Amino acid sequence: MVRAPLLLLLPCLAAAAAGAARAAGPEGERLPEILVSRGLLRERRLAVGQVVALSADPRGAGARRFRIAGVYEPTPDPSRFTAKRLEARMHLPDLLALTAEPGEAGAADSVSAINIALQDASDAGAFARELGARAPGISVVRAAAGDDQHFVIIERFHLAISVVTMIGSTAFLLALMVIRADERREVAGLLRLLGLRRRRILLQALLEGLCIAAAGAVFGVLFAAATQGAVNAFFRWRYDTTLVFVRVTPAIAARCIAVALPLGVMAGLLASWTLLRRPVLDLLRR
Amino acid sequence: MSPLHFAGRSLSRQPARALLGVIGVAVVGALLFDMLMLSRGLIVSFRDLLESTGFDVRVTATEALPGMGPAVAEAAATTEELSRLPELAMVVPVRFGAATVAARGGRTHEVAIIGSQTRRRGEWRLLEGADLADGAAGGRPDMVVNRTLAREQGLASGSIVRLASTLPGREFRVSGIVEFPFEATGEWMAGVTLRGFTHAFPTARRDEADLLLVASRPEAGPDAAVVAIRRARPDLHAFSIDEVLERLRHAEFSYFRQVSFVLATIASFFTLLLVTTLLTVSVNQRLGEVAALRALGFSRRRITLDLLAESALLVGGGGIAAVPLGLLLARGLDSILRQMPDLPSRLHFFVLEPRDLALHLAFLVLAALIAAAYPAILAARLPIAATLRRESIS
Repeated sequence: MVRAPLLLLLPCLAAAAAGAARAAGPEGERLPEILVSRGLLRERRLAVGQVVALSADPRGAGARRFRIAGVYEPTPDPSRFTAKRLEARMHLPDLLALTAEPGEAGAADSVSAINIALQDASDAGAFARELGARAPGISVVRAAAGDDQHFVIIERFHLAISVVTMIGSTAFLLALMVIRADERREVAGLLRLLGLRRRRILLQALLEGLCIAAAGAVFGVLFAAATQGAVNAFFRWRYDTTLVFVRVTPAIAARCIAVALPLGVMAGLLASWTLLRRPVLDLLRR
Repeated sequence: MSPLHFAGRSLSRQPARALLGVIGVAVVGALLFDMLMLSRGLIVSFRDLLESTGFDVRVTATEALPGMGPAVAEAAATTEELSRLPELAMVVPVRFGAATVAARGGRTHEVAIIGSQTRRRGEWRLLEGADLADGAAGGRPDMVVNRTLAREQGLASGSIVRLASTLPGREFRVSGIVEFPFEATGEWMAGVTLRGFTHAFPTARRDEADLLLVASRPEAGPDAAVVAIRRARPDLHAFSIDEVLERLRHAEFSYFRQVSFVLATIASFFTLLLVTTLLTVSVNQRLGEVAALRALGFSRRRITLDLLAESALLVGGGGIAAVPLGLLLARGLDSILRQMPDLPSRLHFFVLEPRDLALHLAFLVLAALIAAAYPAILAARLPIAATLRRESIS
């Protein structure tokens, strides 16, 4: 079967062709087989075993008949997840026969791209350079799915949004801590009068802040973990894809807690310090 | 003393708390403002790009995006046929291709080539030199190149560009430097005539077009033009700019619309929570004061108005600061997202519209009203005598 390089062309063929012809082939007729994507099967109400006509011409000229041998799930592509995956796969000679213009020289022996798997992936750069030098008309591109630039940018965008949200949350937290410290003004004044040192009271505030921040962070992580399924289900339904949009990994959870704890502690300390630096009598004055 | 003055004095008694509240609302409000800009930014920006070409209808062979599906066959006859429709002012066939050029240092580099007629409207903007001419002086057809290609290859009017993707290499004469509406940052782009296109791609099928750009007559409008094309050629697919944008809104651009909706909801909720908490705590700490005011003759309505004014000051102060902060933040976020590959460099994700300001204002007014509701009910229902007694005992 022809694989990835032809996918760009195939959706058009499939979409164009499936629009019209569905033909039940005569019993026992040997027809070339194709696989259709799940999306195409559902959208055009096709069925495995059905005979369809495909054409490279938008008006359906020169259509050829194929039997649907099976259905497949296209490999999720993050850079195209909003697009409908109306695709089909067929044997290369069938595709060439379908798309070649009659009498077009060399068309029956040309492909859009060739996938190459190297023995050693680290040789990719050198191989690309050498092939480019030997065959100047060929464009050699290294396939690197892992570092898709779209992903990197989206990640940067989400990080920036997180930073802004965190700044807003910090202001909120600080305001709450100030209120809380203010509510305990008289208690702090009494403790000071009883002989407790500022450091002792600050330590208490620090521990309280730590507990509150830890509880908040753990709740946040648990909430995210509990709701990730719903978020993924919504986006998978919305875009008809098997991509995972949200995944709370241990690393992400650890990063959240690592950011939240110091912020909570600092907010508590700062709020308490603004109170404790005042003279004792000021704290007790109503 | 007016409720606003009274609220101002109440807030100034706790300056740190009030300032933090305003900062919190400003930051979250900025995020909300940005999400409002993001929700329609791509659509507005893309509309600007499409309209800048001067063509208001696109015609393709299938529903696929131009260049992604089969081409329009018999392009010359189709162009001729459509040009005769009274609703249409102009029809221009366009072809897209990718080739490699012999770059400096013996390397090759990919260049996107657009084949079209000599420029009629805004297919591109001429920056230097001359536009395409139909001739091919010395067997070298004219080519216009974008600034990136010109700068990186040191090209100027009269320079020769040699394609490496054909054997033997085909040559073009640079007639001018232009800006293409849809060129991506760092992308090498060139424009040639349709004859030049077959020179660059000798094996490409003749008499095809990936796209037909159509300008409707002003008196007819794009909708009438689309109807006329569909009537004359039902086998073709004609889209007005509005239809293209509607399709993008529901498919390609929908992710950012949903992200903006989710984040705007969170930001609104956060603002509400922050202001409600501040006001509720503030009222709880001043129960005695509120009861005393009621005993002095302040009506429930007046107490409610005071709290509403306090909420308005917090939300209003933060909301006003949120606008410049949001614009600044939007520039940063926009610059991050515009680094995406293959994105037109003139496309923006965050675009300010008067509608965004109005919505931002509406959200904030609503937040101020809702945030003040609970503490206002708390204060208005306060039993005066019991509260004063409790306060004096404590």
